[in-house]
Amino acid sequence: MNEYKFVYGDPEVCTGCMICVSTCSMFYHKVISPTQSRVRVLRVEPGLDFPLFCHNCDDAPCIEACPEQALSRTSKGIILVNNKRCVGHGECVKACPYNAITINPDTGKAIKCIQCGQCVKRCPTNAIWTTTRKGLEQKDPDGRLADLYARHEGILYEKEEFA
Amino acid sequence: MIKGIGGTNLWVNLTKGTIEKRPVEEEIVKDYLLGAGYLSRILYDMIPPDTDPLSPDNVLGIATGLLTASMFPQASRHVIAALSPLTGVWGESHAAGFWGAELKFAGYDVIIFTGASKSPVYLNIKDDQVDLLDADEIWGTDVFETDDYLRKKHGRLARTLAIGQAGENLVRFAAIMNDRDRASARSGLGAVMGSKRVKAISVRGTGKIEVADPSNYLKVMDVFHRRMLDNPFTPERARYGTTSLVELMQHIGRLPSYNMKQGVFDGYKKIGGDAINEHYLVKPRADFCCLQRCGRYTMVPKGPYKYTGGSPEFETQTSLGSRCGIDNLEAVLFGHHLANQWGMDTISLGGTISWAMEAWENGVITREETGGLDLGWGNHESMIKLIKMIAFREGIGDVLAEGSWRAAQKFGMGSEEYVMTVKKQEIAGQEPRAQKSMGLAAVTAARGADHLYAFPVLDEVGFDDDIKERFGEEYLPEMADRLSPKYKGLMVAECENFMVMVESVGLCKYGTQIPPEFYYEDIAKALKLHNDIDMTVEQLRQIGERVVNLNRMFNVRLGVRRKDDQLPRRLTDFPAPVGPSKGQIVELNEMLNDYYVERGWDIDTGMPKVETLERLGLLKEVRDLPT
Repeated sequence: MNEYKFVYGDPEVCTGCMICVSTCSMFYHKVISPTQSRVRVLRVEPGLDFPLFCHNCDDAPCIEACPEQALSRTSKGIILVNNKRCVGHGECVKACPYNAITINPDTGKAIKCIQCGQCVKRCPTNAIWTTTRKGLEQKDPDGRLADLYARHEGILYEKEEFA
Repeated sequence: MIKGIGGTNLWVNLTKGTIEKRPVEEEIVKDYLLGAGYLSRILYDMIPPDTDPLSPDNVLGIATGLLTASMFPQASRHVIAALSPLTGVWGESHAAGFWGAELKFAGYDVIIFTGASKSPVYLNIKDDQVDLLDADEIWGTDVFETDDYLRKKHGRLARTLAIGQAGENLVRFAAIMNDRDRASARSGLGAVMGSKRVKAISVRGTGKIEVADPSNYLKVMDVFHRRMLDNPFTPERARYGTTSLVELMQHIGRLPSYNMKQGVFDGYKKIGGDAINEHYLVKPRADFCCLQRCGRYTMVPKGPYKYTGGSPEFETQTSLGSRCGIDNLEAVLFGHHLANQWGMDTISLGGTISWAMEAWENGVITREETGGLDLGWGNHESMIKLIKMIAFREGIGDVLAEGSWRAAQKFGMGSEEYVMTVKKQEIAGQEPRAQKSMGLAAVTAARGADHLYAFPVLDEVGFDDDIKERFGEEYLPEMADRLSPKYKGLMVAECENFMVMVESVGLCKYGTQIPPEFYYEDIAKALKLHNDIDMTVEQLRQIGERVVNLNRMFNVRLGVRRKDDQLPRRLTDFPAPVGPSKGQIVELNEMLNDYYVERGWDIDTGMPKVETLERLGLLKEVRDLPT
């Protein structure tokens, strides 16, 4: 099992305030805009708020999907978008099983979470953290979190009809 | 140009079915900011004094603030205003949520509705695309059904604002709900929206907020966030929201009970914050950029009062609980849920029901009128039934839907004596004999009885240091003494100035007033960072003062005078009968004199003096002063 890092959140602790979302769009694109954030927060009743990030998949279908080879994994295991190559086809968007890549409407380039931790350090409830698959298994021994995500899979990763 | 906002106002003429986009009027922003101040200016000029609040001539305005959708703590709010059908004077109400931020992301700050539609409509906003659409399919449905329908139709990321059946049925204290369980509750603005046949506003915005100083933005906001999180109040707020105020208010004898006969309630523990946390709290919830997370998500898992949904707040625990002598928490929670579902203000709802219960005790209302319901104190089954009858105007509910003041006019027989209203609006959950500033605030608030216009909480629980900082040491200890009338005129006036300014920038009273963490200088700093607006502390303070005077002139034009700034005699003439504040009355006249002097208003009439209006640049309003 590899040790690729990703950001993950507890939907029972997350309050849905979207500070992670605003932080992300401000840090990378100098605006406040959920459309230009690499994290999204989805409220699912009853009482759940899911902060949703790139899973940093082992097989990374986004890398495969890009006809311009704009996505690649660095030596540190982070999947980056090369803006010089990206032309905004959106093939990676279609390929991502977690709806975690979008095209920034201003730049026309793909954007995704690169585990920088800016949002993690600003979360007022410590609902999100950087982890690995092994780390998550240790933190979630009874599978409470895994179960919450699995139960709402359809809703969580559904592509938006109006992006 | 102002940065950090949508930049556009939507003017919707419902009679003609037209929508016009106009730029935000920067000349108004300069003197009034956005939000409450902006609407105060626009509506003063648009609503003549002889307007019927439920006619097409009334104007309904919705505005976000300058900092709504910013990263300032609790920057989630919008304000709604119109001539109130409950009070007949200035009507204003506010809510948090995500709807206001979404409106900004779509590029708009303000929506003004004029006229009335012939058939039910809703406004659908998808960025540049704005349409009035047929609402026949959702007219008659509740707030949650409307939200489901709109998000199914326009995408699950749409945020909705809607009225329930109470608004459609012109209940005079109907609320305008957003994000399902957030309420712009007071002043009956839901009935204004219903009279215009606007069911809802659905918004989806994919745009952006461009701030004035992006390079320093996170660095400065980080400090504000840290201050909020480090404030000793924040953990308590996150744990209880406002629900534990029941216990605190019982402790100081300020928990309205039995239609405000007294300020203590034997069953307080049963309806308090600990009881909610132990049995019914699912989790704390936050609105956009809220660090305090006082929102609640709760559930009654089984039984006749089963539900899952947002809130409650302290106000509902007291209005449907102690005020009605009810200690059945599941009934209180369920009643709150129904009020959200059908769209009603729980303060006026509980205030009206508790008046009816007292009228029942006194033999004014009998089984004949209630259709067999027993309205004795503490009867939670009847309370739940009445909520439905009011929302749908069934039986005696049709009279109670007019609010307690009008109901008492109809029933008479001395029941007018125990109508707990100011300017026909029910007094909120602050027994003022136990906190004098709240009594004064209730009579001076522009929208009728109201604790939030001034929100003078600094004398509530030992904010002596903040009083020292905001006012000066010379006002201690009296200003901090909740039972002393001294300096309360000054305190309420200054708190009003600050609070209406806060409502004009789109922030929450939590964080600015309780706890008093952020003050003028912080907001001035944020306005520069976010909006590129240069305002001094003194300018901001004066804007607050200007808005209060303009709201007062709105009411003066409608005939409001000192005689209307009065509390029910129960609170001024009859000492509190039991509890920690036993023997206390509200020394209203003394405080009111001080307040008028502080404001520069005539002490006999309560009207702003010419020189006061001139000093604030309200020259047109000078001409509106009666001679």
